[in-house]
Amino acid sequence: MALSWQIAKSTATKPPSASMEEAKHRVLDFFREACRALPVLMDTYNLDEVITQSELRSQIAAAFRKHSAVTNPKVVDMLVFKGKEELQDCLDHSKQRHHLISTYVVGTEGQISLKKLGTVDHGESHFLKNFYQSNLF
Amino acid sequence: MQAALRSSAIAVRNTLLQHVRVTVAAISLKTPVVLDDRLCYSSGHATYLDKSSVTDRILELVKKMEKVDPSKVAPEAAFQKDLLLDSLDTVELVMAIEEEFAIEIPDAEADKISSCSEAIEYVASHPAAK
Repeated sequence: MALSWQIAKSTATKPPSASMEEAKHRVLDFFREACRALPVLMDTYNLDEVITQSELRSQIAAAFRKHSAVTNPKVVDMLVFKGKEELQDCLDHSKQRHHLISTYVVGTEGQISLKKLGTVDHGESHFLKNFYQSNLF
Repeated sequence: MQAALRSSAIAVRNTLLQHVRVTVAAISLKTPVVLDDRLCYSSGHATYLDKSSVTDRILELVKKMEKVDPSKVAPEAAFQKDLLLDSLDTVELVMAIEEEFAIEIPDAEADKISSCSEAIEYVASHPAAK
């Protein structure tokens, strides 16, 4: 609980980063904060059964890397703020175990996306396939 | 008869000790120390880890990282130049080292670690590294 108050204090509004250097510094500091919170999270949500701490750290690094192409320091600040908000929610136990598992353990690639589901071929004829699409063919 | 029993017991003990390894653990007197309003128990003397074991453990950690080419890992390898890791990977590696040795590296020191040798130096000179 002490850790979540430390993070809450550090989310107090700071002036926006003057340059990408400073923004990068903020990002790396936040990444360190998140990594230090990992043992607490693994314990709170019993994640030891599904993932190891180093795997989880890699997943979080991947989540950071998704936004690596951003060039505007204010956008980076906003992303760090949202990240801190997310971390705060996890530490306060505002989230539940299945939330963390589906976002961090399984990830978005592991979940079934509707686009991947195609149609099943029941071995029907060419005529029937077209007929099911429309009655004008 | 007592003497015979004793001498045979001693003989058995000696032969047993020749074949069985019995570890003797030194019991260090632990005194509680209050740090950040948590009670921490620290042993009276500082115990430094052996540099070769530190080197082995750190190189193992570096090889485990997916982005790293295991053939390039060497005690003198620099993270950004030789192993081609970016700043986020470097921080991740330093955090992995913190986890492995159960230590906490302050941010100022962590920023300075940019190669395997510097990491090995830091851990070998840290009194609380396990």
